[in-house]
Amino acid sequence: MLLWQILIDGFAISSLYALGATGFTLIFGVSGVLNLSHGSLMVAAAVAAWALGASFGGSYVGAIFGALVALLLSVVTYFLVVRPLQQTKRIREEEKEIFILTATLLWGIMIQEAIAYLFTNNAKTVLPIVGGVVTIAGVRTPANEIFTAAICWLAIGALWLLVNRTQVGKTVLAASMNPRGVTLLGVELSIVYIAVWAIYGILAGIAGVLLGMFLGVSSYSAGPLTASAFSIVVLGGLGSVSGSLIAAYVVGYLETLTAYLASPAYRTIPALLLLVVVMYIRPRGLLGRR
Amino acid sequence: MSAAPARLEANGLIKRYGGLVAVKDISFKVAAGEILGLIGPNGSGKSTVMKSIIGVERPDGGSVRVDGTDVAGWPSHKIARLGVGMVFQHSRPLHRQTVLENIILALLPDRLLRLLPDPAIEERARAIAARVGLSAVLHRRPATLPFADLRRIEVAKALARDPRVVLVDEPFAGLTARETAAFVRLIAELRDDGRAILLVDHNVKSVAALADRVFAMYVGERIAEGSVEEVMRDETVRRVYLGGGIETAARPEAGFRDASVPFLQADRVNVFYGKAQALEDVSIHVHEGEFVSIVGLNGAGKTTLFNAISGLLPYDGEIRRQGQSLRGRTPAAIARGGLVQSPEGRELFTDMTVRENLDMGGQRLVKAARAERLEWLFDLFPILKERQSQAAGTLSGGEQQMLAIARALMMKPDLLILDEPTLGLAPVILAQISKALERLRQTTSLTVILGEQNVTFALPHADRVYVLEHGRIVWEGEPSRFAAEAGAAYL
Amino acid sequence: MLLRILRSPAIWIALIVVIIAATLPLYVSGYVLGLLTIAYYFGVFSMAWDLLFGFANEVNFGPTFLIGLGAYTAGILDNLYQPPIWVCVLAGTSAAVVGGVILALPALRLRGPYFGLTTLVAVLMLQNFVVVAAGLTGGEIGLTVPDVLSIDDKVNYWIALGFMAISGAALYGLSRSPVGLILQASGQDPVQAAALGFNVTKHKLAAFIVSAFFSGLAGALMVFYLGAASVGTFIDVTVGVQVIIGAVIGGRRTILGAAIGAIFLIAMGETLRPLGDLATFIVSAMALVVVLLFPSGFVGMIARRREAT
Repeated sequence: MLLWQILIDGFAISSLYALGATGFTLIFGVSGVLNLSHGSLMVAAAVAAWALGASFGGSYVGAIFGALVALLLSVVTYFLVVRPLQQTKRIREEEKEIFILTATLLWGIMIQEAIAYLFTNNAKTVLPIVGGVVTIAGVRTPANEIFTAAICWLAIGALWLLVNRTQVGKTVLAASMNPRGVTLLGVELSIVYIAVWAIYGILAGIAGVLLGMFLGVSSYSAGPLTASAFSIVVLGGLGSVSGSLIAAYVVGYLETLTAYLASPAYRTIPALLLLVVVMYIRPRGLLGRR
Repeated sequence: MSAAPARLEANGLIKRYGGLVAVKDISFKVAAGEILGLIGPNGSGKSTVMKSIIGVERPDGGSVRVDGTDVAGWPSHKIARLGVGMVFQHSRPLHRQTVLENIILALLPDRLLRLLPDPAIEERARAIAARVGLSAVLHRRPATLPFADLRRIEVAKALARDPRVVLVDEPFAGLTARETAAFVRLIAELRDDGRAILLVDHNVKSVAALADRVFAMYVGERIAEGSVEEVMRDETVRRVYLGGGIETAARPEAGFRDASVPFLQADRVNVFYGKAQALEDVSIHVHEGEFVSIVGLNGAGKTTLFNAISGLLPYDGEIRRQGQSLRGRTPAAIARGGLVQSPEGRELFTDMTVRENLDMGGQRLVKAARAERLEWLFDLFPILKERQSQAAGTLSGGEQQMLAIARALMMKPDLLILDEPTLGLAPVILAQISKALERLRQTTSLTVILGEQNVTFALPHADRVYVLEHGRIVWEGEPSRFAAEAGAAYL
Repeated sequence: MLLRILRSPAIWIALIVVIIAATLPLYVSGYVLGLLTIAYYFGVFSMAWDLLFGFANEVNFGPTFLIGLGAYTAGILDNLYQPPIWVCVLAGTSAAVVGGVILALPALRLRGPYFGLTTLVAVLMLQNFVVVAAGLTGGEIGLTVPDVLSIDDKVNYWIALGFMAISGAALYGLSRSPVGLILQASGQDPVQAAALGFNVTKHKLAAFIVSAFFSGLAGALMVFYLGAASVGTFIDVTVGVQVIIGAVIGGRRTILGAAIGAIFLIAMGETLRPLGDLATFIVSAMALVVVLLFPSGFVGMIARRREAT
């Protein structure tokens, strides 16, 4: 009984982590950026969905709106914060990374605080699209949880199809391997980057909205969300999407197990310990390339 | 060969990078008060030998002895402390410090607790600066100095620990004739101090003024050793550098249709990398359907020129395609317009398959056209058809080169630029690529610019040849006259 | 050497500023003094960070690991055994140094973003430990310590100012010394530094230890100023962020700039507090503008203008 509960809950939470981490890794792999405003993006999407849902009723519209808000915010992040720093001649190349990190961090804080100011920092739950309860193997589970896991996998699957089966996706993949090669073949890199940030925005948006439906968010969630995406991506290996997926499940299940078997207060600890061990033994992560 | 004991001795040096053997059983000696010129084209392994001596690379076999002590595998700073100084090819001063401070740094002992500056060290720094000719600019910062002074700082730093052995990497690149003469004197003085000097460069000509002896390398192996004259006359060296006895098949320039407005025209192109001038007043033209080879050693500026044409870096001057300036167009737009480059680094998508790489090249084509093009390329390079589903990163060097060229051809270019396609490849592969180029020349009206340091490869297909040296065009003419007229300068 | 120090305008300006600052308690309110006291401790945090980043070129994403170790060790010791304050402070500083070494040894072998990640993970670990071992550390609520440096605002202010001035002098002096030169070379161009005969790892480790020393010391002292320690004041990532941003906007590689940047951030944050949540927004926005448009930071810009002449 408990086992099934753990399996199901763990699966849902892991899927959510997986979606968020996939987007985070995508941006790192192609644009070379560790986006520290990642959590804020997700929260913004959730809050947008909540706000619209509250005013206009109808969770579908709210959800789509939330994803669109994240898309917009993501592209703005690229143009306003990331691109100027990547292209500036006033900072030495080796130092650009720390500047971009600091800038995305500040930007994330700005978004977080703006949300707190406009909507207060209380927790909000987005109205689930799918209501009701379903019984699986004798466990009563909110249908929303199943829905969450399903959508996450649908999104990840769509991304996989995009990257592996469409020319657009393959160009993005090629750009992550060799930006100069892509330019030499006549593809404008700037367009590729915009496309990637847009895709990232949608992924983060969906993850954010789902999180809002599943567990609820508040402006305080932004930091921990970024931290967990960060840890998962490092564990799985920077730049490896499959690594992130696996790591997301490892972390998700570790957390769920800890929450159920020990106490919810300690849920983040085993994952953190694992991260420390991995950092010492294999800093590249499970499947990392760089 | 002097009777003095060897200050620096390499014995049986071997270095592998994965499956590639970069250095195969290299042995040489440099005595005190002697200058050995270590020469070789790019990919010859000379840089690897140098890195093995100063500890940046760890050799897989053999020994490196400095005054008898084997330092192979030691960390870099220990080797430096033992008395090996290196003048790097690229100036790397600390930008936020003055010239004096840069030299003082080189004099500091490796101690943590040095908190107060030592006046004795400052004195020595000034003395060294005076020796290399930097006294006037001691309190300036590197950003404000001319290129030659930056090179002087590098020499000063190498001198700081009074090294017994000095490695000098391509010392004269970017210097004017007068500056070169000054540096020749400087290095000669170092030799006269009794130090052993290893001078590393590309060809005999560069080291001729200084070297007591020359050691020539090619593809990781020793091909000749002896005095400057002996090495210059050596058969293998001449073959590697000059080609000699090659059949040419040039078509006369007058035969090309676009005589008045050549297909591609570059006028007085100048490119600067920071202080160093990479291209100086370079003007070339290429007719539609013509095959032009640009011959030059590494660092001559071929890649810089090609990158300027492809829009990848800023330049002064004009580059026109069929009369219209290319300035202001993005590199991707230039490539889409039919000016395609197969670059020196190949820039393949290593985790994608051969087929996917080719498809990336042909993405702008309609499905039918793409399929047709693919078939044609598979016919041109049969090995690629065989390996279609293999990841590009797992191919051999030659196969990767063929893939790079094929991928560029997938774009249906009007002008194809090939940058050093023969780099690091075995002669057998070269023959295959050469054959493919021959077919291209005969069956299509493709315009080709080939940049090469391997003359054997560059001459047979060319209608015209340019020679690029230190960023300047020094010769233009028919390939048949190359060996006679340009050869001496080239070797 | 002494002559060179006396000739540097930066020193004179700093000296004058410190003297003026020392007179503030005579005419400024206790509230402002309290604010500045905290700001001065943060100044030391940022200066210690700049030594590592600006000079050794190592990005420490978790300066609060070292600060927190110093603060909590001192605080816990005081709580348990009530030894004299200086013993606790010494213990805290030592703990920070030991922690710094344990962190640095593996971290220095890593390249690229992994070093930064390791430091971040260290902070998260410490944070979790503090929360979990609540019996010892006071957990999320925090720890109170029975002793304080002084109950007088003015005395606390002077202690903080004096500490910052001395730390600043020490760190600045270090950065300008021959050892500082070696450190800069190790950070800017490790291959070259090694070719010149310097053991780069040794020097970076030393930089780490110095940074840890000052961070831990400042953290321990601050506990005895506040009379309390909590995750939110000493360990939380947001605190680390303030330290880093202060150093970056003040001007990296200037040491003195780091202090100015930190003080600016704290002062700004406090001044805008009446605006509520908008305050953090505005401060972050200002800092972002500086990062995007003035990457050399306040002091950096002035220094660059001087260098160009």
